[in-house]
Amino acid sequence: MNKLITLCLATLISSQAVIASAATDTLTVYTYDSFVSKYGPGPKIKAAFEKDCNCELNFIAAEDGVSILNRLKIEGTKAKADVILGLDNALMRDAKETGLIADHQQDVSALSPTLSWSDKQFVPYDYGYFAFIYDSTKISEPATSLRQLVDSDAKIIYQDPRTSTPGQGFMFWMNAVYGDQTNTAWKQLASHTVTVSKGWWEAYSMFLEGGADYVLSYTTSPAYHMIVESESKYKAAQFSEGHIAQIEVAAALNTSSQPELAQSFLKFLISAEAQAILPVTNWMLPVLENTELPEQFSELVTPKLVDLSIETAVTERKNWIKDWRSNAAK
Amino acid sequence: MFTKSSNIAGLLFILIISSVTVLAFQGLIGFSQRGADLALLEDSYFHSILLFSIKQALLSALLSTLLAWPIARAIYYYPNIFFKQTFLSLSLLCFVLPTLVLITGFVSLLGLSGFITPFLGEDWSLYGLQGILLAHVYMNLPFAVRAMHLQLQSIPDSSWILARQLKFSRWQRFRLIEIPSLSANASLIFGFICILCFNSFAVVLALGGGPQSTTLEVAIYQALKYDFNIPEALTLAWSQFAIAGVFFLLLYRSNSVPWLSKDSTEKRWIPCISTATKGIYLLIYTGTFVFMLMPLLALLPGVLAANYSIDLITDVLQALSLTLILGVLSAVSAMLIAYCIMLPIRNAAQRGQLRLQNTLQWLANHTLIAPAMVLSVGLYILFLPLIDLDQLGIIFVLILNTLLILPFAIQQIRARVLQYDNDYALLYQSLKLNFQQRISIEWGYIKPIMLSTFALVLLISMGDVAIFSIFGNDNLQTLPWLIYQYAGSYRIHEASFASAILLLVYFIILLKIERAKYHA
Amino acid sequence: MLDIQQLQIQLGDNQLNYHQQINSGDIVTLQGVSGVGKSSLLLCIAGFIQPVRGQISWQGTQISSQPIEQRPVAMLFQENNLFEHISVLKNARLGTANIGDTEIFAAAKELQITEQMQKMPLQLSGGQRQRVGLLRTLLRPEPLILLDEPFAELDNQTRTIAANWVNKIARAQNKTVLLVTHQMEDVDILADRNWLME
Repeated sequence: MNKLITLCLATLISSQAVIASAATDTLTVYTYDSFVSKYGPGPKIKAAFEKDCNCELNFIAAEDGVSILNRLKIEGTKAKADVILGLDNALMRDAKETGLIADHQQDVSALSPTLSWSDKQFVPYDYGYFAFIYDSTKISEPATSLRQLVDSDAKIIYQDPRTSTPGQGFMFWMNAVYGDQTNTAWKQLASHTVTVSKGWWEAYSMFLEGGADYVLSYTTSPAYHMIVESESKYKAAQFSEGHIAQIEVAAALNTSSQPELAQSFLKFLISAEAQAILPVTNWMLPVLENTELPEQFSELVTPKLVDLSIETAVTERKNWIKDWRSNAAK
Repeated sequence: MFTKSSNIAGLLFILIISSVTVLAFQGLIGFSQRGADLALLEDSYFHSILLFSIKQALLSALLSTLLAWPIARAIYYYPNIFFKQTFLSLSLLCFVLPTLVLITGFVSLLGLSGFITPFLGEDWSLYGLQGILLAHVYMNLPFAVRAMHLQLQSIPDSSWILARQLKFSRWQRFRLIEIPSLSANASLIFGFICILCFNSFAVVLALGGGPQSTTLEVAIYQALKYDFNIPEALTLAWSQFAIAGVFFLLLYRSNSVPWLSKDSTEKRWIPCISTATKGIYLLIYTGTFVFMLMPLLALLPGVLAANYSIDLITDVLQALSLTLILGVLSAVSAMLIAYCIMLPIRNAAQRGQLRLQNTLQWLANHTLIAPAMVLSVGLYILFLPLIDLDQLGIIFVLILNTLLILPFAIQQIRARVLQYDNDYALLYQSLKLNFQQRISIEWGYIKPIMLSTFALVLLISMGDVAIFSIFGNDNLQTLPWLIYQYAGSYRIHEASFASAILLLVYFIILLKIERAKYHA
Repeated sequence: MLDIQQLQIQLGDNQLNYHQQINSGDIVTLQGVSGVGKSSLLLCIAGFIQPVRGQISWQGTQISSQPIEQRPVAMLFQENNLFEHISVLKNARLGTANIGDTEIFAAAKELQITEQMQKMPLQLSGGQRQRVGLLRTLLRPEPLILLDEPFAELDNQTRTIAANWVNKIARAQNKTVLLVTHQMEDVDILADRNWLME
């Protein structure tokens, strides 16, 4: 049996070598697991890109965006990737500190003005607003502001800001809305928090099993239910204070051996073709202005942005986490 | 002649597994170029984690052991109780159940919209210490029941015969026969469960409910995950290692607790019990049976609601085969290594070198108390720049799985092989048997425990998600990983279906082995 | 000749001393009160106990420094002479690769245990088990035979049969036998010499 495995591995490795030497270039992209899952964007993006590029797109998946960054930190200049895809705006600063991120040479003028994108190294490819999702058949009058939700006794599930980007986004949100009063707000929230889960799906699946009244997710989550399940009872609550946006980004590495190919991939990501694929596979909003969306997307709430600079958030993060872990304890 | 080569083989393996741990720690230390963050030791947050880790471990162990006792007695004194073999097999299943499956079941049962929740009153919440204790008890109580039951069964017939002749009262029977029989093992059972729960990760992560319920291993995960705060992770890791080590030395001392052996043949001299007592025992037994079954049955609604397709079935079957292949490979490796490691320990025991024996045992079992998170991440950091982990990561999955199940393998075979030497060392040495003869005779003696231990460690290793998440590769998916993926992409019902398949396979393996023991 | 020179064994708090010569081909019975060190001597000759000082030689070669597997000794212990989980016949074949089943069965017939050969040791009585052990030990090729209370479980009649058989085989093969026993009848039937230990 051992021999069989070794044989398989050897065949795998040598076939990769054969493919690599078969005169097509390979573009290696670090991304996160759900991106490359069968129902995620990965397969379609790969097919679409490979059609025109005369190359092979090789995804290497890490658990999530943060793991991609961690891997970069460990590998340093030995990183295998040409492109990293899946960090979010909160991770950009840390990523730049590795010194591995190359400038993008893309024209970002066609992107949605809401983003007012000015970063020279990272290119956004989709975005979403964090929002609390509820079951409209069970709740007829949802909360209309974050303060209202915190002060109510509705059962809530959210994610741990130390291990989850939505959780971290929520922590930014709370601090943006409450400022100096955040600690009290955490205590108040703790009194009706069902649980704080490790990652997005633990929370969401618990919510779907009926575990809570509200779960922290994205404004686009209801679109999934409407399109794939023909289920329209799940809706996002729109808060008057505004929401926090998560912008997912990609960038080329300056250690890449395929700089042109990397740049053409970045260009592809913000092209109409890719932008049409992403919303219905990644369940986030497209960054390209005027991208055509399925009609169900028009039923989604479009919140305003809360007033918080991502720079401040990233700087204050460690302190905010300490505050959170002391005050959100029940 | 045999002694020398067997010593070398065993010591070599002990050296190898120790060096893996050392390498892992080195991976972390080397990367951060700073040692552990000692300031953390004074942080009140650290104290609360420490306290919580110890508290939940002690409580879980206490509850499991105390509650197991009446159940074990019930089965012992009422040997013809219904479906006893299924009950005992189910107990084994509960111990090896993948945590993912367990938590899904629990949430369906006791979460906010759980089936049972309406009967539990307003204040019930699954998330928090109570959920953690419940899950820990679910996983460990059955083990304790089996172990205690086996212990009771080893009370010789002659004791009961003597008791009848001497006209012992119920209290005397209890105090003079039962208690001495159980007390020897009680602290070992307690200690073992304590260590397992102290190192518990997935359960605490899923059911903890918030920052107030964090154990050391979870805290390590959180430190490594976002901040990549290695100094903090190191402090936590050393603390965990140290405290688990203390538990180990005080309570457990790597003595084995037999719990896998088959239910022995009819005992004719067990005291008869009154009908009233029978009724009570029946109640306790049925209650436990239901408790063990319910989280598993809770999966059914999800299974029925899944979107079935050829793709789903193919994916699940493919993942299942990979899981089985990896599982068998690590189980076989673990059994071989465990056997080899026992060789120098047996030699030391034969020569009465107690301290050497204990040292070797401690070294052999140390991966039981090493933080799994540290091992995985440490090795990852060390090897990522050196070899192509995307292709070869699966080898590390194998290695780490083997290492983590090794202590279980050693514990289970230890008593039996030592007993073999006790009975026959003089004989087989004096008969001047050749290698082949010695192996074949010894195999005849140890085969039952080797087979049941193989099944046990196979099942434990099949449930791994944590190691695969770090070293795994998307082209090859194991079944637990597939379940995790389904759940992660909104496909909850498919996750239930895959969980049910995994469970089915578990149960089949269990039954096959239990049946094999009957014929052995 | 088996030469035991100033042999000293430490047993718990006691020091046991032995000094004896035993001629090749002799059958010597060993007697003495419990605890005087009869079994210990046998175990030492076989190699399971290391002496504090002194040495043991067989036919001029010093065997006390040899590992167990090389000593020219076949020993029958007081108990645990059979592997419980393999058949009696298989047990009898161990260590007796020099002879075939015909001889094993011939011996079994003389010891009246033919019917027991295909059974498992668990199914035999204490006396039958002891005879199987005896059978195997005497049929082994080693020239020096150590028997630790080999007839303890046998009734008078079977005892006589067994003792006579041991005598016959040992003489025929010129074995040197050291035999621990409490019964004077054994001494009468077998012994060239009786070693009374103090």
